[in-house]
Amino acid sequence: MSSTIHAEVPDQLLQQAQTLVQQGWAGNVQEIVIESLRRYLESHQGVLTEALIQDDVEWGLHGED
Amino acid sequence: MTLNGVYMAKTNPTLVVADSGPLIHLDELNALDVLSDFNAVLVPNAVWLEVEHHRPQALKNKKIKLIRQTTPPVVEQIRAMATLYALHQGEREALTLCLTNNIKLLITDDTAARLAAKSLNIAAHGTIGLLIRSVRQELRSTSEVLTLLTAIPQKSTLHIRPSLLNDVIARLKTEWEF
Repeated sequence: MSSTIHAEVPDQLLQQAQTLVQQGWAGNVQEIVIESLRRYLESHQGVLTEALIQDDVEWGLHGED
Repeated sequence: MTLNGVYMAKTNPTLVVADSGPLIHLDELNALDVLSDFNAVLVPNAVWLEVEHHRPQALKNKKIKLIRQTTPPVVEQIRAMATLYALHQGEREALTLCLTNNIKLLITDDTAARLAAKSLNIAAHGTIGLLIRSVRQELRSTSEVLTLLTAIPQKSTLHIRPSLLNDVIARLKTEWEF
């Protein structure tokens, strides 16, 4: 199952993605968008962000720098 | 040893490298002065351009010493890290600056950049940590910082789950006996 989204993309990013497709590194721009989104979501999980904020609180209160 | 005219010790606890997030978010809260006790805040060129685009007034604050850095040569360690963590140009330059100048503190609100920094043994903290730290550094009062934290959802573009922000504020009130 999939959904369609509409998003504005900076020209330079789109051109870079199109170049990768032309060079044969990706099937189409959509593949790149999906892969980019997947990677972003993997590295920005809520539980990680929350742990880092708790770390910020500790550092803010009791850090040495 | 000096970097752009700023004296540097062997490690540089009073120099920090900034990513765009905290500069933008702190300026939105009118709280960039929480960085005023650092000798200088080094701003990588890509970060400078990003802040200039989204929040140019943040770069004109007279209370802090922001130093624009030229784009550093690519470090292989960072190149690999950038792929793994999907880091953008500003984050890559920020981590490179930390590594090449032995700067042990990166200020960023980006989760991936913070994880990458940790794996490089670079401390990384964000807007919330800097606001709380300002009490420890006697730059702001507890009351002011609680007000700033409460204002984050309305006045800044920093996204944080409301219930987590409330938990943080409640904990601080306890710690500070407010």
